[in-house]
Amino acid sequence: MGRVKIAKKSTFIDMTAMSDVTVLLLTFFMLTSTFLSKEPATVITPPSVSEDKVQETNYVQVLVNPEGKIWLTMNNDTSADFGNEKMKIALLDKVTEIYNEAHKSKPVKFTDQQKYTFSKLGSFGVPMSQLGEFLNLAQEPEGQTKMDKWLDGTDDNPKHISGIPISKVQDENNLSEFQMWMKAIRQSDNSKLTDKIKDGSGVAIKADQNTSFEVIHTVMDNLQTIRMNKFTFLTALKGASE
Amino acid sequence: MAEVQQNDAGGGKKGRQKKMTIRVDFTPMVDMNMLLITFFMLCTTMIKSQTLTIALPTNEKIENKENLNQASAEDAVTIILDAKRKQGSNDVDSLNGKVVPVVYYYEGKPGGDAGIIGADGKIHSENNNLKESEFLSADAKTGSARGIRELIQKRNKAVIDKINELKKKYESGGFGSLETKADREAAQAKYNEAAAQVRKDSTLSKPVIIIKSTPNASYESLINILDEMQINNISKYQIDNMTQIDSVMVLNYRGVLK
Repeated sequence: MGRVKIAKKSTFIDMTAMSDVTVLLLTFFMLTSTFLSKEPATVITPPSVSEDKVQETNYVQVLVNPEGKIWLTMNNDTSADFGNEKMKIALLDKVTEIYNEAHKSKPVKFTDQQKYTFSKLGSFGVPMSQLGEFLNLAQEPEGQTKMDKWLDGTDDNPKHISGIPISKVQDENNLSEFQMWMKAIRQSDNSKLTDKIKDGSGVAIKADQNTSFEVIHTVMDNLQTIRMNKFTFLTALKGASE
Repeated sequence: MAEVQQNDAGGGKKGRQKKMTIRVDFTPMVDMNMLLITFFMLCTTMIKSQTLTIALPTNEKIENKENLNQASAEDAVTIILDAKRKQGSNDVDSLNGKVVPVVYYYEGKPGGDAGIIGADGKIHSENNNLKESEFLSADAKTGSARGIRELIQKRNKAVIDKINELKKKYESGGFGSLETKADREAAQAKYNEAAAQVRKDSTLSKPVIIIKSTPNASYESLINILDEMQINNISKYQIDNMTQIDSVMVLNYRGVLK
């Protein structure tokens, strides 16, 4: 019996073409991506038939979690005059002024270092009385992690309150801290932002679909009391047939 | 492709050429690229959020109540949103992770002309005109509206019929040709204007919808009902607070209060 000779074939697969394709794909994703910003609460927005897209800059996002905690995110122009960092320092100054007017016995004051830290924050949301302590965390080792944990309420210190305090009282002379922040934002020097707030697209409420109406109503009512009657809800896309 | 053939005049022996093949293995490169692609794909948000703009009245106390426009009883439809969940908890439907919505509605005055609370101060269940409905999409086979949408469409028939006429006119080129993009935009603008006219037309009979909500209702229901207003071309609607009578009606309907 003669042995069958099997020809030796190389199993080498040329990966060059594959590599070309993957690099192209990679370039595409790198150029189109806008990173998801980390938020203190993860919410699923309800679907709606509305087709208006959210604008990219010049709006304030009010994040509401199902328990009724509130965090704010400012999205300013990228221009030098009204960049996020500059506007945030101005905002902190303004809100301090409004807060100290209402709490004359317990005024708060921020150092330049604290203001600088605040200007670098993404979302923010702690009571004014604790904001100084919160901003000081940035100087400590692993400060960012500690701040994130404080914001989403997972740190173990029961004294640390996360979320901007809000109340159900409808009184223009007795503002809740949430109203103070919103009022300060409305007085911003960025005219593009204030225009957007006037026509309603400058304030976007982002809440989970299962949030109870009671929570949403409190937020809407607070805004109504300071005469910010127009605002938008962030929603997800829904097909017309649904 | 990834190989380079090199002709090398080999050292010692004359006339012999040594063939060398340099091959670069791209497999690790592809592996790494795939990982990077996966990372970028997971980190990106391709879908931008949609927004729904609403305008609410101020909270200021209105001094002069005479100037207020009262919705007449025959036009008024009150929709009350509610949800099935335990008091103070976020119980959700185990099937799709959503709160089970409940929609009640009544047409005209609460309890009809007689009122649910009679002159004797007792609750008259027989006068309770509260009905229960659902958020339902159009029927898959017939395309007809169901649930709360059916009610709204029935009440707003005059306006919806006119809008549908306009739509047909737009599609058949009645507002200008639809050939180029610029033409289409011009026609669309004309159509929008005409549609806005129809929605405002005071000669057509149309409902005034009052949206109320119990504290338990979900945010999703609120967005849903605002969507229905948009879908069904409702021009007059408002978000209002529950009154005592409304609460009595709901509790009575559920059989809690007799």
